[in-house]
Amino acid sequence: MVTCTGCALLCEDIEVVIENDRIKESRNACRRGAARLRGCKNRLAPSFNKMQTDIDTAIKKAAEILKNAKSPMLFGWSNSTCEAQVKGIQLAKKLNASIDDTSSFCQGLLIERVLKKKFRTCSLEDVRNMADVLVYWGSDAQDSQPRHLSRFSVFPRGESRQRGYEEDRLAIAIDVRESNTAKICKGHFYRIPLKGDREFILALMDALSGKVPKYDAKRILELAGIMKKAEFGVLFAGIGLTYSIKEDIDILVSLADMLPNFHVMPMVGHYNMRGFNEALFKETGFINRVKFEGKPVHDNKYAVVEVLKAKSIDALLITGSDPLSSLPRSVLPHLSSIPVICIDPCVTLTSKIAAVTIPAAASGLECGGSAVRMDGKVIEMSKVVENSYLTDAQILTRLMEGL
Amino acid sequence: MGIDVGKFMKNPEYELKLTTYRDIFQAEALENDRFSDEYKKHSAAVVMGKDDMNKFGLRIGDRVRLMNSYGSIVVELRESKREEPGGLAFMVNSPWSNALISDETGGRGIPEFKNITARISLTKDEITTIESLIGR
Repeated sequence: MVTCTGCALLCEDIEVVIENDRIKESRNACRRGAARLRGCKNRLAPSFNKMQTDIDTAIKKAAEILKNAKSPMLFGWSNSTCEAQVKGIQLAKKLNASIDDTSSFCQGLLIERVLKKKFRTCSLEDVRNMADVLVYWGSDAQDSQPRHLSRFSVFPRGESRQRGYEEDRLAIAIDVRESNTAKICKGHFYRIPLKGDREFILALMDALSGKVPKYDAKRILELAGIMKKAEFGVLFAGIGLTYSIKEDIDILVSLADMLPNFHVMPMVGHYNMRGFNEALFKETGFINRVKFEGKPVHDNKYAVVEVLKAKSIDALLITGSDPLSSLPRSVLPHLSSIPVICIDPCVTLTSKIAAVTIPAAASGLECGGSAVRMDGKVIEMSKVVENSYLTDAQILTRLMEGL
Repeated sequence: MGIDVGKFMKNPEYELKLTTYRDIFQAEALENDRFSDEYKKHSAAVVMGKDDMNKFGLRIGDRVRLMNSYGSIVVELRESKREEPGGLAFMVNSPWSNALISDETGGRGIPEFKNITARISLTKDEITTIESLIGR
């Protein structure tokens, strides 16, 4: 069995057929997972200043860039193993660098509250065994974590839910768009206007406290009734919800406080984003946006988006992420004026503009390691195919030695 | 209320709201090769309801320019398979949608990935390439 790193479900039930040290076929994986297991078409090669070089030179040049930088940033980490993330935090400390990950513009607001125990949460196994009311809010799991519904939530039989979705479980979707997940929640899809989540939460809180909600009273009262009666409810909070209420995220905490039988689970995309958040939290008490200045300092100004806008860094090391794909183009111009170091198994948009590229082994395939599933469970990954690529943890160790 | 001058241009421009979503077929193409035609096909597109298409005088398969003060892209127009309430169009989250996203964050570090205001107009220009989006 192989662990899939296609998303933060980290499915461990994947069977593969290996031919010539590549995965020829996989079973049980979703489309995304199967594609990731097959491996990318264009492997990254070591380079310096757009000229191909050997791996030792690339690492040496990267170490020189970091050594000479006055305010470097280390960014990415969501597609890195826990072992590499710990090395990355050590490197940031050694360099007095700032460090941030993709949760900074993704689910960080919710993960922080989970780690600080502001939400009741649960494991995915608890969901499978006990959950009777499943609320997908701003989350299209069918496209983002495609086996969520079939492995854990809507479709499986569970210890206390033997009759499954036909009788024992109710799935609800609250979204701006009738997503593929919403299609499955037939009769229980609540469409809200863009940025309408806060108003919907307030209306739901009114209904839960016995008041008549300000809009769509009949349906919101019906929803409040279902949620109140839940024996084991789970609110799967998607990125659509997080973005919509980012200015007032604690309103979700207030809603959860009114639902004693409900659990909140942030729907994480990248396979080990939560791993980084937990590692940095353990080390510093913060989940992201940290600068080491002798001691760790947390500030929104150390968010990757803000440092790029403010042009406040003079070198950027990226591993386990492709910010040129995922960030607004309007914040990217600073990247063309600073040296970028890109560590990745594959050619990415970011590797195309990088001063130094360092190829890494694909985790869960070409190297083992551990990762943290979206619900906090640590999953061990094994090496499946043989090749000579260094792991991202080994590359970071060598970078530290090179300093 | 001022006159919407855009409507009287040769290729009239209309303001619209865009939001982004995830698509498993695009995610599959991303894993395989983010420089592929397949990834471009799934990313460089805007999806809207039939009523909005009629309102804007646009047809399925038209090439349309989406622009605002942060960027300008050319993508293919597709019709939503769902009934849409209107006034909102959809793009799969990608470097194409990211070209239209504001850098305003209120200092919070999170851009408005799912709340984009842009103008749409018919164009004969080619679909924006990924190379041009990274300035190459």
